Amino acid sequence: MKPEDMRRETLHRDAFAGLSTRRQLIQRGLALGLSIPVINAALAACKGQATPSASSGASGPTFKLGVVTSLSGDDVFGGNLTRRGYDFWAETVNQRGGIEVGGTKYKVTMVYADDQSKPATGADAAERLITQEKVDAIFGPYTSGVTLAVAPICDKYKVPMLAGSAESPNVWKAKPAYTFGIIPSVDLTAGKALAVLVSQANPKPTSAAILGADEPFSKEAAQGFLAQAQQLGLTITKQEFVPPNADLTPIVSSFAATKPDIVAVGGHEEVLINFIKAAKSLNFLPKAIIMHYGVTEPDFARNLGPDAEGVFGLAVWTPDVSYRDDLFGSAKDYDTNSYNRWGSHPDYTEAACSASGEVFAAAVAKLGKKPPLSESDRAKLRDLIEQTSITTFYGPIAFETSGDHYHDNTKPTPVLVQIQKGAVVAVGPAEAKKAEMIYPLPAWNARS
Amino acid sequence: MTLFIQTIANGLLLGGLYVALAIGFALAFGVLDVVDFAVGQWVMLGGFIGYFLWKWTGIDPFLLLPAVFVLFGGAGYLLAPLIMRVRTSRYARPELMVLAFTFGIALIMRGGALTAWGFNTRSISTGLGGVTLQGGGIALPGLRVAAFGFALAAVGLFFLILYRTRFGLAVRAVAQNKQSARLMGIDVERVSALVYALYAGLTGMVGVLMAAIYSVTPEVGVRYTLFAFFVVVLAGMGSIAGVLIAGFVLGVLEALTAVYVSGTLTFLVVFAVLYLSLILFPQGLARRGRS
Amino acid sequence: MTWAHVRRGLALAGLLVLLSLPFWVNAYILRIATGIFLWAGLACAWNIVGGYAGYISFGHSAFFGIGAYAAGILMGERFGLPFAGALVVGVAAAGVIAALIGWPTLRLRGAYFAIATWAFAEMVLQLANVLRITGGTAGLTLPPLLDERLFYFLMLGGAVLTYGLCFVLLERSRFGYRLKAIRDNEIAAETLGIDTTRVKLQAFVLSAAITAAFGAIYAYWITFINPTSVLAGDITDQMVVMALLGGLGHLWGPAIGAASMYLVNRLFWSLWGNTTAYIVVLGVVIALVVLFLPDGLVSLWPRTRRLQVLRALGPHPQQERPTVAEEQR
Repeated sequence: MKPEDMRRETLHRDAFAGLSTRRQLIQRGLALGLSIPVINAALAACKGQATPSASSGASGPTFKLGVVTSLSGDDVFGGNLTRRGYDFWAETVNQRGGIEVGGTKYKVTMVYADDQSKPATGADAAERLITQEKVDAIFGPYTSGVTLAVAPICDKYKVPMLAGSAESPNVWKAKPAYTFGIIPSVDLTAGKALAVLVSQANPKPTSAAILGADEPFSKEAAQGFLAQAQQLGLTITKQEFVPPNADLTPIVSSFAATKPDIVAVGGHEEVLINFIKAAKSLNFLPKAIIMHYGVTEPDFARNLGPDAEGVFGLAVWTPDVSYRDDLFGSAKDYDTNSYNRWGSHPDYTEAACSASGEVFAAAVAKLGKKPPLSESDRAKLRDLIEQTSITTFYGPIAFETSGDHYHDNTKPTPVLVQIQKGAVVAVGPAEAKKAEMIYPLPAWNARS
Repeated sequence: MTLFIQTIANGLLLGGLYVALAIGFALAFGVLDVVDFAVGQWVMLGGFIGYFLWKWTGIDPFLLLPAVFVLFGGAGYLLAPLIMRVRTSRYARPELMVLAFTFGIALIMRGGALTAWGFNTRSISTGLGGVTLQGGGIALPGLRVAAFGFALAAVGLFFLILYRTRFGLAVRAVAQNKQSARLMGIDVERVSALVYALYAGLTGMVGVLMAAIYSVTPEVGVRYTLFAFFVVVLAGMGSIAGVLIAGFVLGVLEALTAVYVSGTLTFLVVFAVLYLSLILFPQGLARRGRS
Repeated sequence: MTWAHVRRGLALAGLLVLLSLPFWVNAYILRIATGIFLWAGLACAWNIVGGYAGYISFGHSAFFGIGAYAAGILMGERFGLPFAGALVVGVAAAGVIAALIGWPTLRLRGAYFAIATWAFAEMVLQLANVLRITGGTAGLTLPPLLDERLFYFLMLGGAVLTYGLCFVLLERSRFGYRLKAIRDNEIAAETLGIDTTRVKLQAFVLSAAITAAFGAIYAYWITFINPTSVLAGDITDQMVVMALLGGLGHLWGPAIGAASMYLVNRLFWSLWGNTTAYIVVLGVVIALVVLFLPDGLVSLWPRTRRLQVLRALGPHPQQERPTVAEEQR
């Protein structure tokens, strides 16, 4: 055979050798297509076991509540906290037979949607819950970003949204008509806690350094600390904002070089934990470290062990506050029952989310209409929510109707807390304190 | 002045972490031509496995490192044939297919971690965490110094293996030309699988270190992938010595920016420098194709 | 009545269905459809550079963000421009920036190009975090216009325009041939007299402009943007995977990939949204498709076998493919 013929034959053969026949392609396509229902069924089975649902399987009309929160993505940790809070309220209410409206009790059904920690997905979630699931109200997301994306949708469809966790002041500056927040925004609370610390500390601190993670909420917390520190006349030795993922050792070293009495940190749990570890590894020990809400998360003390000792934080709610209500009992009762249910102690986010349910229940009882609620019902519900003035195990709840904190619950007063022997203890102000505060911080290696 | 030296020291130690992160990946890329999108997830998994082993056995995490290496090496050895199959497939753009495949693997790992272990932050405490080497006004975190040593040891070990053992010879042959290596009687598939296992084992160990120095959640993987890619590309793909230079440069740059320019600009400067260096030095800092 | 006639009829019918969709489905499904067109358009834009030119870009999220922020900044209180104006400015800005950075960046090859574009994207993300005009990490709110139909038509129109433009430019013009020549063998293309630098740059600018346009529409649609939602890497990741899944270098590949991935994502999310297992399943699906359908879903359609034959006649199948590192030398 001539070389050219051989080449042509080889080419011809190779051209079709590697190709799948049509039959093979169809087989593969079918396999792919059939695998989807199989995966479907497997996941459905998983779902049946995995998620204890708060819906009681009730017959008859129920109040349907949509929950938009971060069940995956960067904020999955906080998102699950909110979910536990909302779920616990629904379960507790259903155990009593439901919300009482005009003599009849109606149970509560919860429908969930994951916002994947993204505003766009949150908006889709809200749209789906409102238009397909036809919820009566929405329980809000963990992050302010998602809340900001969902608020206009709630406005448009006239569905009230109760956010147990929107802490950034930006949410309220936008003056959302149908959104209400249970937690006072962070710019109000950070400074107050610092003031308590400075007033009680002995000897009096004279300087402070402020660190903030460059993300919503953390930044505002740090700015709250900064503003108050300036107001109190403390020397600000250093102030820095860093990306949340950045390594903290260079910053900590630069702080250490200026020898501040107090270091204030605004950030979420991961940043707070990393800061303590960085400070310890560099043997940097200011007289006090004050952080924000993250300190009250169980993970903080659990992960850091003795390194967390003495760190200050703040909470607008702890299990020790003296508020109570008919549904959950006292704050301590809520703590015990929630611990028995979920296996970990609730923090202020969970408590606020449970309290959101109580706001809904109170308003809906006043409304006097049975589910499902029509659009005009919901509009009236919104007005009733706006007029809320109740006291719950979480504390007093009433919403501002004007100003920079429109529709935010600014009533609770923050308590200065401190980690002592792994537990979160209230140490100030005087009327709320349960123990004396540790000041200054004990040396890193002198802890048990 | 002391702060300046301290900052440089911090930067070098941070650079050591970057080197540790990227070294395994550099090997896998140099030899196998595999751009593994899941490198950060190996780190994340290493952190979690290390955390659980530590919790269950109470043994100091540093002593657990060999166990983690074996575990992850085994996992890598099992996964390697799949990846190599995608890499050597006859379809168009196999390197992109590997990227997509490992992206899928990364999703599986991240989703699996989220589903299995939930969302809580985990942090490992070791004895070394409380050790600070202090002298002359400088403080060096003991744990980071150990990690720095680990990184250097890993680099040294790789050089040793690659240039002083028969296995290393086979690896270099495979890196140069798989076809010729096969003709030389080298079992290319086995060597590739072993290299990938080495990479996975090493990266898993780094995960344990990261969990001890920082903390770990299922979401940290993406961040580590980003930095591993950057360091390796800056180094010049496949250059192991370049990884040292690139890692240290990035670490020191990050530290200096954070302290002397502004905290907020830290990453902006780092990424801008990275981008500009790639434009100006297209072959990477080491200016060599491979080690 | 030939097959071509049937095809044309089907296409027309399909178009009519799509145009009438807002009038007979509910708002939620409309939203999903809008999302599909968004991603179909984005994946197509990426495919111009990735599939047709052969340059894998990991930086397209930067252009998406530029378009989104252009809309956000210009429609805000300080400038108060109408949407159309903001859109034009956003597209123009993206084009200019793409031209500026494209010229040095397109000199790089393969993985270097990919990482360089990724570095650029991260740079833009950090810039958005840091500048005050972008609202920093808190983001921007746009004037809300919650007209689902309008956005549906905007996205549909954008997608149709994009695919039409790509069809004309890439499949029926010499520009397309030049681009594909560059993908198949850049050096050979140079020797044929093609000005590869200019062609690549044109493709890059086109791709960036389209991406930015969608970014602007997206910003208007969602009414709230911040750096992580419009500049994060996962936007690029999605574009890449959608194009890959659908079929690189095919015109309709990205559309198929985008539609299937978006639908599967939303399906899982709405059915099992309260577990994280759907992330795992997504990963499994991607891995399976890469293993068994490497040419993308498009290869399930019998007609595309023609392309496979052409490809098989290219470099000898037994030959070693040049490794990425080797390409650098």
